[in-house]
Amino acid sequence: MSDPTPAIDRGQEETVLAMDNIPLALPVAGIGSRALAATLDYLLVAVLAATWIFGLLFAGSRLETRIGGGWTFAIALLGLFVLEYGYFAGVEAVTGGRSFGKWALALRVVSRDGGRASVGSLLLRNMVRLLDTLVGVWFMLLDPLSRRIGDRLAGTLVVHTRAQERDVVVGRIPAGWGAREVAVVESLLRRADGMDPARARVLASDLITCIERDDPSLLAGTPADADPLQRLRYAVSAS
Amino acid sequence: MDYGRFVRTRQPLWDEFEQALGRARGGAALDHSALERLAFRYRQVLHDHALAAARYPETGSARRLWRLALEGTQWLQRDRGTGRVSVLRFFTRSFPRAMRRLGPHLSIATLLFVSSGLIGISLAIVQPAMGAAFLGPEAMAGLREGRLWTEALTTTIPPAVSSSAIATNNMGVAITAWAGGALAGLGALWVVLLNGFMLGVIVGATLPYAMTGRLLEFVAAHGPLELTLIVVSAAAGLAMGQALVAASDRPRRDVVREASRQSLVVLGGCLPWFVLLGLVEGLISPSPDVTPALKAVLGLTLWLLFGLLAWNPFLREE
Repeated sequence: MSDPTPAIDRGQEETVLAMDNIPLALPVAGIGSRALAATLDYLLVAVLAATWIFGLLFAGSRLETRIGGGWTFAIALLGLFVLEYGYFAGVEAVTGGRSFGKWALALRVVSRDGGRASVGSLLLRNMVRLLDTLVGVWFMLLDPLSRRIGDRLAGTLVVHTRAQERDVVVGRIPAGWGAREVAVVESLLRRADGMDPARARVLASDLITCIERDDPSLLAGTPADADPLQRLRYAVSAS
Repeated sequence: MDYGRFVRTRQPLWDEFEQALGRARGGAALDHSALERLAFRYRQVLHDHALAAARYPETGSARRLWRLALEGTQWLQRDRGTGRVSVLRFFTRSFPRAMRRLGPHLSIATLLFVSSGLIGISLAIVQPAMGAAFLGPEAMAGLREGRLWTEALTTTIPPAVSSSAIATNNMGVAITAWAGGALAGLGALWVVLLNGFMLGVIVGATLPYAMTGRLLEFVAAHGPLELTLIVVSAAAGLAMGQALVAASDRPRRDVVREASRQSLVVLGGCLPWFVLLGLVEGLISPSPDVTPALKAVLGLTLWLLFGLLAWNPFLREE
């Protein structure tokens, strides 16, 4: 059986068996994107901590006169502790595996079979973060699936989540054309808007020549002097 | 089936699945029949994904079906325990069950803690410099003058500050002891041995100055439970460490995952107590207004309460 993943998306992968034993390739996030996501998260934690401290300093004098006895300092200390240990675990548990950094880089924590990770797993992987900040990078470098200690204990993976892009899918093709030819047509139509227009028209003309050779009936009704891209779109359109 | 026909006949189904999944992910409430239909469509999409991957690789339909299959799996397939977590159920069932399974590790951790404590006492008696190394010259000078270093808790630091500092520090120690289990149990061993040794040395250092009674009086209210919680956290770390290194008939991945979850439940059951203990240690333990007997009764009561919750005698085995 051929690889189910389009070559363009191929990176680190873990193939799992989904329902009915159908292989499903999970696009596992590498150490680079995960480190960047973690950096964004720690920046946010630093900003939240600074806001917390300055907020309490600002309100401190009034608070101290009302409740007294060093309670402002005590509240500050407890808040920082909650931020340090609770940010990642809390946010991921609430959002189903996405911290701010992961959201920004389109990453998500999933279970080993690609499903939604349980709250227990999300808490577990984050409670050993202290240890992972010391040795987690080495574990990720050595592991083909870039798992840190927390991921190994909780049985989780971090995967890329695909953007809601609309893939171009052709509905008609000349008889005898295979998947490779279809992929070429779809690739051009998908990228045409971002390409140099002249270059896109040349490539579309080449493909129209091939269609005229293999199945001219697909081009019936389109004027020969029309825009090649429009003719190509018409020829392969299901409607 | 040629590619064109495959796309023409199946595309409406993919569109329907994508729209339904989008609505569900957007928070729309699904009744039973809608959920069943979504699951059925997911299964069809998975089968189409397998066909497209095998016969039409790298085409737009293969890409789209792969994306739909991934999104459907992430939304529809859920790990065990993804539902709501009941706090009451956690403390009355999950926590006691996890504690019962922890028996052997708890015995080992207790033995190690007591042994290292005894070694610490012996060394502090034989080598008085050991006590000075742990307590510092100021505390030793205080001992010589008949003062415990703990008196600073009431004279220099507001009780609120000391309570929160003690609570967060102890929770940090417990989390470190537990997480240290992930290093094949070595981190948990280190915490339990170091804490036992330190306690022994401190007790040993007070013996020559006849201050041990006052030290025990200070720790009577919070000490029994605090030490128990640290030993329990370390035992949970040891259980996790054992799953990582010990051979088993079952796949290591499954064993580690189960042991980690059980140990996390134990840690989760211990952490809230540290907040209570922080208040006791900051407000009651250093207070001269509370009699030693009352402190001892409080310490024993807290310890018994934890024991009752941890071993829940009303819970039947599954």
